[in-house]
Amino acid sequence: MTKVKSNPESRSEEVEGPDGGWGWVLLAALFVSTSLVFGLMRSLGVFFVEFVQYFEESSQAVSWISSTGLAAQQFFSPLGAALCNAYNARLVVMTGGFLAGLGLILASQATCLAHLYLTMGVISGLGWGLVFTPMVATVMANFTRRRTLALGLAFSSIGLSSFAFNPLFQLLVEMYAWRGALLILGGLSLNIVACGALIRPKQRSEAPAKVDPDSRSSCVAQLQRVSSYLELSLLFERPYVTYTLAISLLNAGYFVPYFHLVAHSRQAGFSEYQAAFVMSAAGATDILGRVVSGWFADLRHFRLIHLLSLWTALAGVFIMLLPVSSLSGSYVALVVISLLYGFCSGALTSLAFAVVPLIVGVERMMGALGLLQLIESSAGLLGTPLSGLLKDITGNYMASFMVAGSFPILGTLTMATLPHYFSCTDPPPPQRRSLDDKDKGLNSELEQMNSLPSDTSNRSAE
Amino acid sequence: MSASWKQLSSQILLLLISCRHINTKTSSPTQPPLAPITPLKTDVRSIVLKGESHTEKMELVNPVNLTLECTWTGNQNKLPNITGYWRKDGEEIQNSRLSVQFHNGQYNIQQVFSIVSEENLGNYSCVFGNEAKISFILEAPQIGEERDKPIISYVGDSAVITCKMDDAKPMPNTWNWYRYNGTEKEQIFVAAEPHHYEIINKERKTRLVVHNLTEADSGLYYCGAVYAIGTTMSHVELKVITFMEPLKPFITIVVEVVVLVAAILLYERSQSKKKATAGDGTTADQKNMLPQGDDNATEGSSSMRQRKV
Repeated sequence: MTKVKSNPESRSEEVEGPDGGWGWVLLAALFVSTSLVFGLMRSLGVFFVEFVQYFEESSQAVSWISSTGLAAQQFFSPLGAALCNAYNARLVVMTGGFLAGLGLILASQATCLAHLYLTMGVISGLGWGLVFTPMVATVMANFTRRRTLALGLAFSSIGLSSFAFNPLFQLLVEMYAWRGALLILGGLSLNIVACGALIRPKQRSEAPAKVDPDSRSSCVAQLQRVSSYLELSLLFERPYVTYTLAISLLNAGYFVPYFHLVAHSRQAGFSEYQAAFVMSAAGATDILGRVVSGWFADLRHFRLIHLLSLWTALAGVFIMLLPVSSLSGSYVALVVISLLYGFCSGALTSLAFAVVPLIVGVERMMGALGLLQLIESSAGLLGTPLSGLLKDITGNYMASFMVAGSFPILGTLTMATLPHYFSCTDPPPPQRRSLDDKDKGLNSELEQMNSLPSDTSNRSAE
Repeated sequence: MSASWKQLSSQILLLLISCRHINTKTSSPTQPPLAPITPLKTDVRSIVLKGESHTEKMELVNPVNLTLECTWTGNQNKLPNITGYWRKDGEEIQNSRLSVQFHNGQYNIQQVFSIVSEENLGNYSCVFGNEAKISFILEAPQIGEERDKPIISYVGDSAVITCKMDDAKPMPNTWNWYRYNGTEKEQIFVAAEPHHYEIINKERKTRLVVHNLTEADSGLYYCGAVYAIGTTMSHVELKVITFMEPLKPFITIVVEVVVLVAAILLYERSQSKKKATAGDGTTADQKNMLPQGDDNATEGSSSMRQRKV
């Protein structure tokens, strides 16, 4: 308590806050766990071919496995956030890693497709949900000035690991058939447990204050507690709702090129290899974009929210330009626009999460991220089938890309309605409002306890 | 019967198409056919050679009396008489040598072959006096996609081996499956072991399902597409492994994870113990931290404790 760095009222994140030290170790842990979650999810295509042959199901039925897994990951994100608020992040991440591995290990014994939905979809998806949001929130809490760069570096693992995992999984399937390969993948996923063990637990200071001293274990009190863990009160705050809406709109259009670019290139008359190269090129600039935008954002020349709006708007524009560029039949134009799109889409991913603590404050970030993941995922679920439907109706991809490109632009416009958007400096991050706001004494004690986490991590960084 | 009419008409169509590109000269046979006249269908294939050699592949489905005709424009010598003969699979066919006249600017030789069964298929060549050669490769429709990597399966599991005939090629009458048992290909009969094997034939595709795999089931399996003229084969290797195989790398990885987690937790405990023994500037809060630091190893019950405090 002797080391309260600054006056709580005029706290600005530039002055206090951890940056580096143990944070870099956590960043490495996030790198590994993100690649084992999303990189693994993206490379499951190798297994789907085997499943189609073994179970004699259509490839559409088999692709539901990864849809279920992704949906479960996003659906259980608020649960993961709430559990971190209730207990500690280390326990949650280690449990999540164990569940993710368990799901894959059980999947190796599957005898029908339904087993795979349950194990690879639900159980592993639950595990991934318990892993991703807590780890991201923990890393973000451990960086302040270099937060965006840290996120950019961590998320670049997704692209890099998909490059590495595809041939690796192919090799595993050739050596051990899909059962053995899934078993080994389950083992690899258990490494997330080791990543989770690296989290140094810090107590959640607000939790004791939230619990009424004379708490009756009645439904109302329990619900109050649960809603505070889930940060449901955020849903009533305009800045957060605005931001979530903007990100959801972005999500609706964001995935369309990943699903339809190859088909569109083939339809425009390019060969299979050319179409695949376009995707790979976009993927490569995606990785580059994440890291560069993270580094650039931390130079603090511009506000994060402005940079995010810029990348989002550009991404929307480039999505719209994609069908236009191939209209003229020029392969170079298509490749260039895809490269630019890849860069912008990677750039905005680094920033999308980094803006959240600026809106809701570092303490509520965990729950905020969980809710954000859940809400944005539903928009993502709607966006891709819509573009497919447009393609079926009109016969080509022009309409679907146009509509898909308009979603991020709408998102940018929504972001512009955030409070203090047009000012040149960031507004001060919001103070934590406790539910019983009357007690000023309790409030000031809260402020002092808020500084504790930074103390803890500073000491552990020594 | 309609199937074979389809095949005959497709053969004639093939011939007509080849006529667009190749000069055909049908001259009367210079020699009586080698085989006795049987009620087989007849077919003619003619090639004109402009260079030194040419190879022509022919897919045969049904037995046929096939007339192969070779025409050669000759070289600069333009001898009036040269010897021509036929070869099958590299060996000269008996009594096929004859003298060929240089007539209308070309040498012409033709022969009727009775292609009835599999041993009649092969590489037939007409040779003009050791200089020019036209080869006709007669074969039944080959199975296109062959899987070069072995199929891996586990003991007790079922393995599915499939073979497919291209859509462009004629449909086989039926499919047979064979197993290589070290010396020869042995046909698999489902009736002999109905619980072990299952063969499902569906026109162009065939599936062999082997249930209750044992390690003895490993080996080469052949699927044969049966046509009236013969059977074409394609092979796939099946490898049966026990679950021990992937279990070994799996156990290695699990051990590695356990070691890592233990190392991380022990390191953390030793770090916090160091801070405890350092003992300078410890405030009451830091003393509160220490038991928490120790309790971290016991899976996070610390925060629970903290809340009760």
